[in-house]
Amino acid sequence: MPDNIYLPELARIAYIKDEVYGERAIKTFRVEPVDGELFEHDCGQCAMLSIFGRGESMISIASSPLIREYKQFSIMRVGRVSSAFHDLAVGDVIGLRGPYGNSFPVDDWRGKNLYFIGGGCGLAPIWPVITTAVAQRANFKNITVFYGGRTSRDIMYRAELEKLRESVDVHLSIDKAEEGWNEYCGFVPAAVMDKDPVPDNAIAITCGPPIMIKFVIQNLNKLGFKDEQIYTTIENKMKCGLGKCGRCNVGKDYVCVKGPVYSWAVLKNLPEEY
Amino acid sequence: MEKILNKKHIDDWIAALDSWDILGPVLEDGIWAYQPVSGAVRLDHPNTRQSPKGLAFPQREIFFKFEQIKGEAPRLTQVVPDEQRHAVFGVRPCDGRGVPRMDLVFTDHVEDNYYQARRKNVAYVGLACNKPPGPNCFCLSVGGSPVSTDGLDVQMTDLGDRYFVKAVTETGKGLMTAAGKLFAEPSAADQKQVEQVHADAVAHPQRAVRNVEAVPAKLKASFKSPLWQELARACIGCGICTFLCPTCHCFDINDEVQSKAPLKGIRVRTWDNCQFPDFTMHSSGHNPRENTGARLRQRVAHKFQYFPENFGMPQCTGCGRCVSECPVGIDIVAVVNKVVENAG
Repeated sequence: MPDNIYLPELARIAYIKDEVYGERAIKTFRVEPVDGELFEHDCGQCAMLSIFGRGESMISIASSPLIREYKQFSIMRVGRVSSAFHDLAVGDVIGLRGPYGNSFPVDDWRGKNLYFIGGGCGLAPIWPVITTAVAQRANFKNITVFYGGRTSRDIMYRAELEKLRESVDVHLSIDKAEEGWNEYCGFVPAAVMDKDPVPDNAIAITCGPPIMIKFVIQNLNKLGFKDEQIYTTIENKMKCGLGKCGRCNVGKDYVCVKGPVYSWAVLKNLPEEY
Repeated sequence: MEKILNKKHIDDWIAALDSWDILGPVLEDGIWAYQPVSGAVRLDHPNTRQSPKGLAFPQREIFFKFEQIKGEAPRLTQVVPDEQRHAVFGVRPCDGRGVPRMDLVFTDHVEDNYYQARRKNVAYVGLACNKPPGPNCFCLSVGGSPVSTDGLDVQMTDLGDRYFVKAVTETGKGLMTAAGKLFAEPSAADQKQVEQVHADAVAHPQRAVRNVEAVPAKLKASFKSPLWQELARACIGCGICTFLCPTCHCFDINDEVQSKAPLKGIRVRTWDNCQFPDFTMHSSGHNPRENTGARLRQRVAHKFQYFPENFGMPQCTGCGRCVSECPVGIDIVAVVNKVVENAG
């Protein structure tokens, strides 16, 4: 069958990096095509990753669409497939199908101030937007990144964040004080308030644990951000990615098709089923 | 095309359809099921336990085989549904109306190759319900009718010693012309009789979802109602409601490993079920539908709110299977009416 929507293409793992160790371990993988080229994607879209014999899992594409040589995925070890990913080595071949879902309307944000607010592994889904905006730095005004981990050892993309400081404001935080930590101590929503971001001509993009997103949005509203200025990306369990398997719906919409990216103006009117 | 078929000729009609695999209702161990038939076809069934949805959407569909020798790239081999054509006889109108609803799901956004490959090779030969075959029929209240031709290729109506046979689609016409000699032109009396039978069928009292057009808005307003948990309290999460439903389409995709070294296995789609707790459970343990109330609400709202919002029609066709077969007596007609009534 040509264009079999369930048949993955093969991709080879070209790079693996341990981001976070321990019980919330995160590894970053870069995959390259085995034959030809991989699909193109937009910021915020996801892909269905396969380890044959273990199954499939929907993962956010963490690399910028501007990078054509590879696709990056940062995966926390939690379930059957994600754990199997942590056992892979460079050179191993996985399956890949996609891209799925909508994307961040980055082109509409030209000339605006961008605030990125991430927590834990929630940095990965917004990383393509951050890196695309930085690559097209002149298109945007101020770019500010807030990112927090539970502890300093839970901070992912540490080296990349340090490099990011050359062109944008980066504010890191950890939940509780640690020796040698010179930046903010406390939860991410409070770290945002601490810097008092200004809502004028601004867009805020947030992703992280649901409880963090909830309080970040509350705080942004307090700071004067309108619902239309706030974007987030959500996840639900998915099997097909095509709006057919029936489980990722929030109300009438399947997150794999109508999401995962939502403005708060839209999301706040949907039932809380995510 | 409208014809008369003497009942004694139905087996000859089926014999003439030699390029088709024929399925008909067969009673076995007290359960009516669509099964391959070669000789005598009985069309005196109430309704079958399972709808014929499995012909286009089988309970198990192998997508591809995978094979991997250690150190080498995996090899994937697609499994393509065979091209054999199936004609299923005795399809009740509610199950006929399930077909276009499944078509919508599997063609919306992108076409599902496996569904389409099977679907194009299935013909549905329907049997009108002269009276509701079960105590829980409610097709009329969800926009259907005991004499609906929606989704069917042929509609047959029982006129005692003969059938009034109507081609609904070109495929249906082809099925009839394959045995053209067996069919007679209907007389004026036949026409009159079939009209009367259909009018009586529609007039027959049924159970009813009240005012189905108003239901989506009422359900939307009832999302947070405590009634859901109350109505679902007895639910044991067995999922028979969805497995027997002619329009439930949810599925799972899993790998089945047949050999570990070298790795050999298959990727399989199987029917899944929104009443199972792990249907929506994230690998973190978080579950957006964490109790039976939320899961009952999903089943009911999908049929009566989300599907109407997306496609302009209820997904439920009123066959009543989920009502009749629920081991704890959860009754979708009563649930919808109660939630709507409670919404004021």
